[in-house]
Amino acid sequence: MNIFKSYHLGTLIRNLAVYATLTFFALVMLFPFLYMLTTSFKTPADTFRYPPRMLPRDPASIEVAGFDRPLPLYYVTHNGQEREFALAQSNLRTGTFAPADNLQASVERMLADVRPTGGEGSQQTIIVNGKEEKLYDITLDGQVVPMVLISQTTVGEFIDPKNPSVKVYQNVRLSTPVEDITWHPENYSAVVELQGLDRALSNTALVTILVVLGQLATSVIGGYAFARLKFPGRDSIFVIYLGTIMIPFVMLIVPLYQLMVLIGWTNRLAALIIPWIFTAYGTFLMRQFFITVPKEIEEAAVLDGASRLQILTKIFIPASVPALATQATFTFLYAWNSFLWPLVIINVGNSENHVLTLALNVLRGRASDTPNLILAGAAIAIIPPLIVFILGQRFFVESVTSSGVKG
Amino acid sequence: MNDLKNPNTQTELILRLMPAWRILFFLIALAGIPVLWAQDFAAALKVVFSALLGVAALASLVSVPYLLHRDHKGRMISLVLDYLGLLFCLVGVLQVGQVFTGIDSLGAVFQRGLPFLGIVLVGYLFGAASELYPNDPQRQKNLRNTGKVVLILGFIAFLLAVNVFTGLFNFLTRLLQPTGLSMIFGATLFGLSLWAMWREASAQTFNAKTSHEQMISGWLFLSPNLLGFLIFFAGPLLLSFYFSFTNSDAFNPPQWIGVDNYARILNITIKPLNDFAQPARDVLDILVYDEVGRMKIGDGGILFGAQDKFFWLALRNTLTFALFAVPLSVIPALFLSNLLNMKLPGMKFFRAVYFMPSIAAIVGISLVWQWLYNATIGYINYFITVGVEFLNSGFGLALIDPKIQWTSNSGTALLSIIIMAAWQTMGFNTVLFLAGLQNIPGELYEAATVDGAGSWAKFWNITLPMLAPTTFFVVTTTTIQAMQVFEQIFILMNPPEGPGNSTISLVLYLYRSGFQNFQQGYASAIAWVLFIVIFGLTLLQFQRQRKSSIYEG
Repeated sequence: MNIFKSYHLGTLIRNLAVYATLTFFALVMLFPFLYMLTTSFKTPADTFRYPPRMLPRDPASIEVAGFDRPLPLYYVTHNGQEREFALAQSNLRTGTFAPADNLQASVERMLADVRPTGGEGSQQTIIVNGKEEKLYDITLDGQVVPMVLISQTTVGEFIDPKNPSVKVYQNVRLSTPVEDITWHPENYSAVVELQGLDRALSNTALVTILVVLGQLATSVIGGYAFARLKFPGRDSIFVIYLGTIMIPFVMLIVPLYQLMVLIGWTNRLAALIIPWIFTAYGTFLMRQFFITVPKEIEEAAVLDGASRLQILTKIFIPASVPALATQATFTFLYAWNSFLWPLVIINVGNSENHVLTLALNVLRGRASDTPNLILAGAAIAIIPPLIVFILGQRFFVESVTSSGVKG
Repeated sequence: MNDLKNPNTQTELILRLMPAWRILFFLIALAGIPVLWAQDFAAALKVVFSALLGVAALASLVSVPYLLHRDHKGRMISLVLDYLGLLFCLVGVLQVGQVFTGIDSLGAVFQRGLPFLGIVLVGYLFGAASELYPNDPQRQKNLRNTGKVVLILGFIAFLLAVNVFTGLFNFLTRLLQPTGLSMIFGATLFGLSLWAMWREASAQTFNAKTSHEQMISGWLFLSPNLLGFLIFFAGPLLLSFYFSFTNSDAFNPPQWIGVDNYARILNITIKPLNDFAQPARDVLDILVYDEVGRMKIGDGGILFGAQDKFFWLALRNTLTFALFAVPLSVIPALFLSNLLNMKLPGMKFFRAVYFMPSIAAIVGISLVWQWLYNATIGYINYFITVGVEFLNSGFGLALIDPKIQWTSNSGTALLSIIIMAAWQTMGFNTVLFLAGLQNIPGELYEAATVDGAGSWAKFWNITLPMLAPTTFFVVTTTTIQAMQVFEQIFILMNPPEGPGNSTISLVLYLYRSGFQNFQQGYASAIAWVLFIVIFGLTLLQFQRQRKSSIYEG
């Protein structure tokens, strides 16, 4: 019985440790995304604040009777309690005054409220510590006492919003403003307008959709040929296809660019689409899936007089929805996120044909003083693939290794 | 039966015309070669295209006797040539009608069409929802029909929204000119001839067997893929090899310069230094070489010089990047996948979360990290500050907050790229490992448990050896990707080559040579050297994997 118990305890501790580790890594993975999202809703001033804060906040303000504009709210201490008061007036000049014979007994008064001793123009002075100082009449406990000005500063007048006659004076800069969590979704429309992201978004969507459809079409029929049709040369071509999967794209970038120059496709969206709809890798993937479809079904269809195309569309395609979804998701991500090729082929100046990644690259330089806008742009580029991933992940994650791919 | 053996006269007539058509084709193809040479483009391409035309002409001529003898080879050649001709003419029609360049204007109006594409999706979902009611055929049928109607209406609305009919009209008017019309005429001619040979009746006349039929469908089905592969992959790959021996600049005809590009890349020198601080010009021929780096040995040292110091700096940075980024993304992934494989509830959630960084656009991600790395307001330095303060106050230490200038210090610039890249690829590798783990038979662990093996022993003696193929795959693909690091650097660093060239990578240097300085021949040579490095690394890992698997038995 004892052993049983300790086994349970051990398992519990182990599982807790596992969850703690997994949660830690999950936070590490998620943090940049959360940061991106919350920052994209901030004001620029809020983004540059240190220490950084996660949620977007704005200084709060309140309507007070007798003031035509809403007044900013601050935390003040009133009668020993922390209260939210409105700043009615700032830059009020105050002085610290003290009698010349007792500098420690200082009092504070508004400069506007004190009068020079002896009246304007004939102000009396006194020597304090070898220096001549002006004297002011200060009312203290109902008596007028001449005092010297020790120092001066500015304060704000803070009033109780419910009862504007209750006032507290303190330094504005040292006071903590009341802040509300305020989201600024208008950052998104601002960045769309600033960088023409709407056009970039629709270009990206167009390119991505066409590349996905094109790749699916060519790889389905090619994969079918590799999997089910016997013809001389098939196997050697297949081996060549396999051999080229590992060849990095940068090998092709120079000649492909020259090819595009030759046919006049530089600066054209066609250059982002047509060369990408043929894929050795996708063909390989479809072939691998098609060879697992039982031959008997196909043979029965042939006996019924079905053509190859009918067999493909009526039997193979419905049977391979998971493989198609996987490939579509992969291609979607690849086309949506690609950067180097668009960077090479589309001019920086030609913003009409920019895709999102290019627009972001330009935005990075243009909006370096407004990180909120940059990150709103990044969110626009990042969120659609995340949605596709969430929709397609059932197929996608499952089949990542059954095939073994790198995006 | 009698009918089959005597094909009708119509077929016979068509088949008699075929040899004449093939001879005409031969003549046209031959005539095309001088026309081609009169055009103004790269000589190398002229050679390729002339060769293709020549082969086509020859094949056409050769097919004539076969056709006359009703040999099936004649039908095959005929079909292939007409098919290629048809494709060529169709692409020509699209090109003359400016369909490819018209995609740009589609981009302008596509926005308006997007909501309607959403409707199409909804229609599709209706159809898919019918699968939810396998026991209710009436409902299934209703859903399917509704879906179809919504889908079709949505698509029509989409077409209207993107002005497809105006586009179509423009397309047709553009075709009304000599080139366009001749392309249409050619397409019709090839199409007719193709149909004539394709027909069941012709197949019987030529005694086509099932294997022939399969061969034709096989090549037909593969052809779009194969042609695209040849034009956009295999061809450019060969061209790239050719360019690497030229001084190509993308706009003027390239000139053959032999191995000069490679010689420039590989021209390095190593000189001893008497005094480590000795200036480079004392030991190097500075008209040829630049200093790449120096190594201290005793009081003196050695100095590495290279004709193209940027290439060697880029190689050093790229290898350093791979050396750190690969283990940093593979080892935690191995660890996490083992945790995920414990099959506790909620693991799918964690798996999805870990996967997220690898699907997000690197450009977007790099922008986010740029602000995380910000030295004054960034979260990374903030966390370090908080950590340091915690340690100092909690344990009475006197650590100094490092206040790292992540991206603007040459010592940490590459490190910031490494950390971000590891963060981004870790999740993908975790899922790959997880799939590998799930293929390990459970009996092995059960047997080990019976033998009294602990968790560590099981991990070292079962998990790791059984996972070796996955590990090989993960390490290889991660290395190949790491060797091509570009986007992270390009976005995160300003300027991209980083402080003191500390983040210039091979692909970045290739981009700079090829597309900023337009030394495209030189860029091609860099690409091939990069390929050889990657290939070498892969081969190395492959041999290690083979050795270890032999050792494991």
